[in-house]
Amino acid sequence: MPNIERREFLKLVGAGSVGVGAGFMLRETIKHPQEYLIPHVLAPEDFSTGIATWYNTVCSMCAAGCGIAVRTREGRAKKIEGNPAHPVSQGRLCALGQSGLQVLYNPDRLTGPLLQTGERGSTAFSQITWEEGLSKVADRLDLLHAAQRGNRICLLSQGVGGHLAQLFELFMAQLGSERVLHYDFDHPHSLYAANARFFGEQQLPYYDLANTNYLLSFGADYLGSWISPVHHSLGFGHSRQGRPDVRGRFVQIEPRMSLSGAAADEWIAAIPGTEGILALGIAHRIVAEGHYQGADRDAWTQALANYTSNQVAQQTGVPAATITRLADTFAETEPSLAIGGGVAGNHSNGVDTLVAVNALNYLVGNIGKAGGLLFNPEPAGQVSHPRQASYRTMLELAEDARLGNIEVLILNSSNPVFSLPTATGFREALAGIPLIVSLSSFMDETTALADIILPSHTYLESWGDDFPEPGVGFVTGAVSQPVVSPLYNTRGTGDIVLELAHRVGLSEAIPWPSMQACLEDGWREIYEQGDPETREESFAAFWRAVLKAGVWGEKSQRESTFTLDTDVVAAIGVAAPEFSGSADDYPFVLHPYISNTLHDGRGANLPWLQELPDPMTSVVYGSWLEMNPTTAADMGLTEGDLVDIESPHGEIRAPVYVYPAIMPGVVAMPIGQGHSEYGRYAKDRGVNPLAILSPQITDAGGLASSATRVKIIATGSRVELVKTGGTSRDLGREIVQTWDGEPATAGDSAKVNSIPITTVTT
Amino acid sequence: MNVSIVPALKVLRPAAVVAAVAFLGLVVGYWANAAFLPGTSPVQPIEFSHKIHAGANEIPCMYCHTQARRSISAGVPSVSKCVGCHTDVATERPQIRKLMSYWDNKEPIPWIKVHDLPDFVHFTHKRHVQADIECQTCHGPVETMERIRVTSRGIDGSVQLDTPWEMGLCLNCHKQNEVENGTDCWTCHK
Repeated sequence: MPNIERREFLKLVGAGSVGVGAGFMLRETIKHPQEYLIPHVLAPEDFSTGIATWYNTVCSMCAAGCGIAVRTREGRAKKIEGNPAHPVSQGRLCALGQSGLQVLYNPDRLTGPLLQTGERGSTAFSQITWEEGLSKVADRLDLLHAAQRGNRICLLSQGVGGHLAQLFELFMAQLGSERVLHYDFDHPHSLYAANARFFGEQQLPYYDLANTNYLLSFGADYLGSWISPVHHSLGFGHSRQGRPDVRGRFVQIEPRMSLSGAAADEWIAAIPGTEGILALGIAHRIVAEGHYQGADRDAWTQALANYTSNQVAQQTGVPAATITRLADTFAETEPSLAIGGGVAGNHSNGVDTLVAVNALNYLVGNIGKAGGLLFNPEPAGQVSHPRQASYRTMLELAEDARLGNIEVLILNSSNPVFSLPTATGFREALAGIPLIVSLSSFMDETTALADIILPSHTYLESWGDDFPEPGVGFVTGAVSQPVVSPLYNTRGTGDIVLELAHRVGLSEAIPWPSMQACLEDGWREIYEQGDPETREESFAAFWRAVLKAGVWGEKSQRESTFTLDTDVVAAIGVAAPEFSGSADDYPFVLHPYISNTLHDGRGANLPWLQELPDPMTSVVYGSWLEMNPTTAADMGLTEGDLVDIESPHGEIRAPVYVYPAIMPGVVAMPIGQGHSEYGRYAKDRGVNPLAILSPQITDAGGLASSATRVKIIATGSRVELVKTGGTSRDLGREIVQTWDGEPATAGDSAKVNSIPITTVTT
Repeated sequence: MNVSIVPALKVLRPAAVVAAVAFLGLVVGYWANAAFLPGTSPVQPIEFSHKIHAGANEIPCMYCHTQARRSISAGVPSVSKCVGCHTDVATERPQIRKLMSYWDNKEPIPWIKVHDLPDFVHFTHKRHVQADIECQTCHGPVETMERIRVTSRGIDGSVQLDTPWEMGLCLNCHKQNEVENGTDCWTCHK
């Protein structure tokens, strides 16, 4: 027995105890963590654990109105895909649409009603109950309604269609107001105006891209962002690869190569704003060569007299030989199609330009022909366009606000403070409105100025419907149904409006208890107009069928005939575009373009879209200025150099991206970044090129967003652009093989400077 | 000159004894935890007995675990399912009263998960049930258990209580039954 001292003994006891404790804890920490199986209290009927349930509904991420199918599991939305039955999307969907899940699950969603407690714009909001919020708003509306001052109430929504749009109008009309405005930055006002002038109707035709053999696109980035990109992409795919005997060819005319430009067989850069002049140059050649034999041929000859190839070549910078070649191919290929929009419509001569594009279709007989341009039947429900506020209307609204003619402004997910140029003073004008109510789901720049926020559901949680514009050639519509239960203490936009209507005492005219009931009533009318022979036997069956399929359509076609007004022919002509800022002081034309991810800025709060590389530059997260390599070299700038971009109306700072596919003299910037609010992913990231635009107006009253001149000032500092691509050069790797000269024949293979992978040399 | 490290080691001897005792304690502590708190049969919020339900009363597994034949997960019955019978059956027992208090409060019963696979394993009940694999093949003799406990099987098919599932269990069965692509990594790890 060794003699252990007391001190020694205590040491050993201590060591032993610590050891036992440590051993116990060691095992405890490496144990499998306890998990729980939480059952339902009541088993729901519409889903089973572990089995996906799909719901068809409508995408609301842009105005195209694609049908979507949402995969849900255990009551949670997991994935969004295109609805194969919907004629617009046909089972496909774009990145913006796919990201809708991050709208639903966004951590920066407004989760309940808020009241501005500080000064307006201080964003000092405190939570209130729906009762408080609704009664505050309803009281004010009631007051104005009772005092016959209803017209001092304005409702400013993002573009919405269907019965929600109707409900807005009914509600406002009952209050005595005609001020129902929809505002989307990219609404194609010029295109509508051009079609109204040429075809005599305020409606978009169906561009049959799928079946055309030769497509001329004047500035329309139809694969990336133009009016209905998913549907157009489908058409493009079919035109290229869907037909065994023919591969559709296509020419893109724009100053900066967009996604569509990159997919084109030929990319032509005309001097900004002269796209319409180019179109008329082509038209001149078509008429002069005798391709057009209509009765009004002389009128056309006369109208186009000043657009000979040489004259047009001088104005547009496109060689005369190219113009004649385009004209001859366009006239001789059947069917061919010309489309125009986007940057081409965003100049002071935008409508004239797009009328000229329509004229091309007219002259070669593309109208009413498969592979050409077809007229859409009247939509079965309301579309957004008639209520879309042009830039001019927004200026009038700002002026009214400034003069104190507006007492209540109700905002519905419209964000003009972000997308209107700072020079318009729209933000300041809002100070003249005593009460601003926002129904947005997010704290965007305009909502941040609101006094009361009654946050609405996201589109995946609410009822609605949509009648797609542009249409698809036949009558169709789709119902938007909730695919999940609301995540937060929010309400459907329609339900909020209905509740306000009831509180103001308009229940007689607006009787529906909920948006769902309103929709069902509206669709009952559609059902009742259907053919009694073929329709479902009851409305309930019809309604179920529509919800299940996610879409409803009727076989219908419209004769695409129209008579061209002789005045239109006589007035054909495109004036030189006007720019803000002199060419001496501001040598570059700024070309802000809609990004196919962030769209007009609404996608900036979705991290998936932020981290999605831009298709042309591969840059993620942030803003950049695209500049031609020769221009950059002249100024001594390389990629990442920070420059100040100064217009007559402001200045922003962004890094340079040297982009070979942009004209010298033009600089381009993606729209969408530069938010000062709008959640953690959007806020304080990049810059907003719209902020420095000149308040220049198009001939349709829209914002001439491509008509601002800027100057570029090097700052001397630089940043690293975050992008996934390496160098844009081939560096002898033969990734992209190029071919100069005639089409290859069998004996020409020696000309291709590459080694086929099947050849093995030893 | 000779240098010895022995004097230095002598100084360390008391420390070595302390370390040895501490290590012994570590082993004892670890063993004690493993022996007395195995975590292989956690106490559930309600003392539900599979022995009574599946054993004595011979209620088929899929009467309650209704999803097993058509979903990746077998599913835990909703509280309403339990109440469906127990409005009339054994209403006076304390555990049933506990069940009713969950029901009255419209609260779910927080069952503790016993059988678990790591997240990197893709297992689906549907395929196995539809291939007529008995539940007991993996879950052990559930009908004899008062409280569910982790159970696996040895290579000879013998029941091994308190042993978590490992890949051998799956592979063994897949090989024996000559499952198509049954030993392909991507069949389960996808």
